Amino acid sequence: MSGTVGAPVSRIEGLSKVTGEARYAADFPLAGLAHGWIVQSTIARGRVESVDAGAALQMPGVLAVVTATNAMRLQDVDDGELLVLQDQQVHYRGQTVALVVGDTLEQARAAADGLPVEYQAEPHDVLLSASHPRLFAPDHVNPNLPTDTLTGDVEAGLAGAAVTVDHTYSTPAEHNNPMEPHATTAFWDGDRLTVYDSNQGATRVHQALVRLFGLEDSAVRVVSEHVGGGFGSKGGARSQAVLAAMAARMLGRPIRVVLSRKQLFSLVGYRTPTIQRVRLGSDRGGRLVALDHQVVEQTSTVYEFAEQTAVFSRVMYATPNLSTSHRLVALDVPTPRWMRAPGEAPGSFAVESAMDELAEACGVDPIELRIRNEPVTEPEGGRPFSSRNLIACLREGASRFRWAERDPRPGTRRDGQWLMGTGVAASTYPARSAPSTASVSAQEDGSFIVRLTAADIGTGARTALTQVAADELQVPMDKVEVRIGDSDFGPAMIAGGSMGMASWGWVVVKACRQLIADIDRCGGVPDDGLVARADTADDIAAQADLVRHSFGAQFAEVRVDVDTGEIRVPRLLGVFAAGRIVNAKTARSQLIGGMTMGLSMALFEESLMDAEFGDYLNHDFAGYHIAANADVQRIDATWIDEEDDQLNPLGVKGIGEIGIVGTAAAIANAVYHATGQRQRHLPIRPDRVLSP
Amino acid sequence: MTILSPTSIDEAVAALADPAIQVLAGGTDFMVEVNAGHRRPDKVLSLRHIPELRTWEQLPARDDPAHVRLGATVTYTDMLQPDLAQLLPALAHAARTVGSPQIRNAGTIGGNLATASPAGDTLPVLAALEAVVEVASPLGVRDIPVATFITGPKRTALSPGELIVAVRLPLLDGHQEFRKIGVRNAMVIAVASLALAVDTRTRTVRCALGSVGPGPIRATEAEEWLAGTIDWDRPAATTEAPDLAYFGRLVAGAAQPIDDHRGTAAYRRHAIGVLAERAAAQAFGAGSAA
Repeated sequence: MSGTVGAPVSRIEGLSKVTGEARYAADFPLAGLAHGWIVQSTIARGRVESVDAGAALQMPGVLAVVTATNAMRLQDVDDGELLVLQDQQVHYRGQTVALVVGDTLEQARAAADGLPVEYQAEPHDVLLSASHPRLFAPDHVNPNLPTDTLTGDVEAGLAGAAVTVDHTYSTPAEHNNPMEPHATTAFWDGDRLTVYDSNQGATRVHQALVRLFGLEDSAVRVVSEHVGGGFGSKGGARSQAVLAAMAARMLGRPIRVVLSRKQLFSLVGYRTPTIQRVRLGSDRGGRLVALDHQVVEQTSTVYEFAEQTAVFSRVMYATPNLSTSHRLVALDVPTPRWMRAPGEAPGSFAVESAMDELAEACGVDPIELRIRNEPVTEPEGGRPFSSRNLIACLREGASRFRWAERDPRPGTRRDGQWLMGTGVAASTYPARSAPSTASVSAQEDGSFIVRLTAADIGTGARTALTQVAADELQVPMDKVEVRIGDSDFGPAMIAGGSMGMASWGWVVVKACRQLIADIDRCGGVPDDGLVARADTADDIAAQADLVRHSFGAQFAEVRVDVDTGEIRVPRLLGVFAAGRIVNAKTARSQLIGGMTMGLSMALFEESLMDAEFGDYLNHDFAGYHIAANADVQRIDATWIDEEDDQLNPLGVKGIGEIGIVGTAAAIANAVYHATGQRQRHLPIRPDRVLSP
Repeated sequence: MTILSPTSIDEAVAALADPAIQVLAGGTDFMVEVNAGHRRPDKVLSLRHIPELRTWEQLPARDDPAHVRLGATVTYTDMLQPDLAQLLPALAHAARTVGSPQIRNAGTIGGNLATASPAGDTLPVLAALEAVVEVASPLGVRDIPVATFITGPKRTALSPGELIVAVRLPLLDGHQEFRKIGVRNAMVIAVASLALAVDTRTRTVRCALGSVGPGPIRATEAEEWLAGTIDWDRPAATTEAPDLAYFGRLVAGAAQPIDDHRGTAAYRRHAIGVLAERAAAQAFGAGSAA
């Protein structure tokens, strides 16, 4: 029979989602459920002197006020954000200083709103700058990559270069803002803890709760059946899960904690602002002789997170002299974490803008410039690529976008009030896999059940995994039920780092093949069924030492109002080489979604730090602008057929993040082409267009 | 929390005798303030169930010219309906730029006035049309011109116990439009906005600015210059075009913008001039409507 992998299959759970039947973390009804509301600090640095719970406890329905004085003690973990209410220290404005629990959400919230908290405030330091006196080199950058790299002699390379580009680019703090806020419903049955939690991977939340509460693996169950987006901010346990579990233990009742939109701006992570100096040196034909990418970014004093912003430069272009560096300063701010292609998204804005500046300086077409700098092996380290099809993406995109007809001169095309321009940028993201486990059981009725702790955060993963299992088992999709989002199914990779499908698909294929072998050996499915289990840890450890990356080319057309600086983006095209595509429909949606986030990053998204209060001031959707439908016009994503047998049995590279990488640079380059004014600071607001 | 839902204006006004009561119309500002913790009402007076506030009517020429009288809880969606939009096109333009469909279904003209945000989208239109706000209290109903109704950012001339019951807008004969610059294409607060209305009968031009001052600002010098420059007796296309860039500069000069996170004062002043020039070009430029 013909396979379903590659077909445009609609989401299996689509109907249950649009009819409201699908249950998210805050949807599970439980008898005796009580509600927690988080009280946040109103100072950016100092100590909580006292919390006067007296009046709150007299309010109707209020069950408890949990503070550092009476909170349950937690075991130490390596993430200070999870050690909630364990001491009186305030590390940033918006930090949790109490949890008020009430019979209803409204009662808890009313008491929380008026809770008197006294602080001993200290002066805070919340502003990032490239000359900050406390900049330091972290031990490594996310996830565990070298902080600095150096090949050859960059200074000598730049000194001898015929053409140089040396500019500083910046990106602002940006907040993930998934549609579903972080939420947890927790209850204890004796010493066994169950949480319904909104996350990108129940395994990591399970591991965190096991450690924090000092429990056996088998004593914690994390269920995450449906998740309404994460964009990195649900990559690990967040404090609402800890608070819900803690309060449920202390009160002996099921507790639900749901964050408000505003609370997401303090408590779950965001993208660090970045200040990036990029220096390029080339010959007159644009062939690089040196590339230097220096990044300055922030972390908090609670948990050190160092975004790998400069890693983009380590894989993109051939040059004998290459250096990258990351410097960090720990400020009195919320902890930045993963957000939508951490590293590559802001890093590509700087480097792909600089490459456009180099193309201009050399008089070389920007696509040709990238082709001239195509490396044979990884520029940093020299390892071979498993496959690399950047040039194919650029050429396919150029053809579809009619790039050949482009007049390269900037600031020359006008239609009434509109200046028009087009731009291109390259894109990449690592294609990694991580160890996972799964089981597949053959039922007596000829159907199969796959169980693994995967997460479908809106990507279509459940559907894609069903396609994979159906093909392996050689049955129609309706004979396969894929159950995900339950830590009882055993450890598995999160939906993150664009690694979900590669990791889960691998283990599902392995388990299915094992099951088929078992069925053959038994001469059929025994009356009581048959179960096969698989673990890919050894397979992944045995992989060849190759550089595995997806690549892509982003094209943008913009119109810039010559008088007001308003920008419209009538056309976006992304062409990607990401290995095998499992589901053509959900993959296209995911890539277009990523490109839309890139558009949003280019033009709108910007969290503004209020230096006086030490807080992001635009912490709602009235002030924090994400692209609306009206901002997206013609947008298309496509991919080239790419076969790569050095990845995983499915040959997938992952598509969760590559859609956002390079989009902002393509738009910024198009704005330059339209106006002749270079935009080196995101977002490209109308006032910045007029005075860059 | 107590919620009163009267079904008549008289009942609502009577309830307002309690100084602790807070008025809820569409809730698009009220609920944001509650959620932000800036407003903690113990008693709420909901206007949702008062039918006479929800209607509008075209009045016979009680005065000259004729008027449209909008009940206070007429929504942005109502303003977009063709029968009302053709009478008050600039108001419809402004309503179309407000929020999302859900917000437009909930938000009301009375609420936009009572909130008196410097960025309130209908306010430049009301100011340009010289709308009159009808305010009820136990003492009766009084009229307050919009120009004096808004006394500052989020401040109005409403006295305690008074309720906005309607807004009266004159029907003008001439081109009308509303323009707005925001950071994105929809669901966005204005960085600068402008309403322009021409009245060929009185040979006047009215131009009011939003988001570039503490409240809507009438650019009177610019209005008078433009009204005095154009030839009212001949079609636009046949006359020498007025210097609309100068009009734009006069309008920009009337602005009182500030720097904030949505834009700089310099950008706002520049942008309002651009909006003015473009609106005037639409009204009086070659091939224009007026």
